[in-house]
Amino acid sequence: MLSLKIPRQILDEMVAHARALAPFECCGLLAGQDGTVSRHYRITNTVAKDAQAVEVFDAANVKQLADLSEKRKAEVAYFMDPKEMLAAFKDMRERQLDLIVIYHSHTHSPAYPSMTDVGLALYPDAAYLIISLENKTAPDVQAYWIKDHRITQAEFHAI
Amino acid sequence: MIKVRIPTPLRPLTKGQGEVEAKGGSIDEMINHLEGAHPGIKGRLCDEKGELRRFVNIYVNEEDIRFLKGKDTILKDGDEVSIVPAIAGGN
Repeated sequence: MLSLKIPRQILDEMVAHARALAPFECCGLLAGQDGTVSRHYRITNTVAKDAQAVEVFDAANVKQLADLSEKRKAEVAYFMDPKEMLAAFKDMRERQLDLIVIYHSHTHSPAYPSMTDVGLALYPDAAYLIISLENKTAPDVQAYWIKDHRITQAEFHAI
Repeated sequence: MIKVRIPTPLRPLTKGQGEVEAKGGSIDEMINHLEGAHPGIKGRLCDEKGELRRFVNIYVNEEDIRFLKGKDTILKDGDEVSIVPAIAGGN
């Protein structure tokens, strides 16, 4: 797999997005062509507000969210606003871009996919990028391919 | 005809096509028609009981069918259906 190319400005925007929402998890999508990212979509994390989120996590048997407070849910999980996703995919279609990266933040843990991330990874063609704020002064950004519950590092570099 | 937008994870079942046509007077009928043309797709959208999987979002002309009539939502000629699997995870 070729190394993905991500504009430095978009990398900076993602880290800023993660910092702005901490301690809650942020999430979003990156799109482009032939492995080169050109567009960034911030998506609202609606895990605390959408009853469907609890059902999805329960059905995948990855995390019990039902008993957590709204605040706690958004600290430990993300669920992309379906309506915003639909709008982002429409925009990609109109611009003839492909989904390249699905990102979210880990505000208290390393930049490595959790069991929850693996259990809910439904897009094997997209790289899953994680921004870790575990070390507040030095955010760590890593990306992975998650296919059939197997995790491999996805190479990327800033352009 | 109904225009159906297929998400990338399901495109291996539609020979890579991001958009296919289907027939049916409801979402349920449309899924059965899709299964005839693209075997295996129904199992990705529905569980063993035939109920829609909870992580699958389906929109008719950008309206979420959860807020319409679920898989009994009526379809008419020219409608556009989008299938969008949820994106979720956590630490």
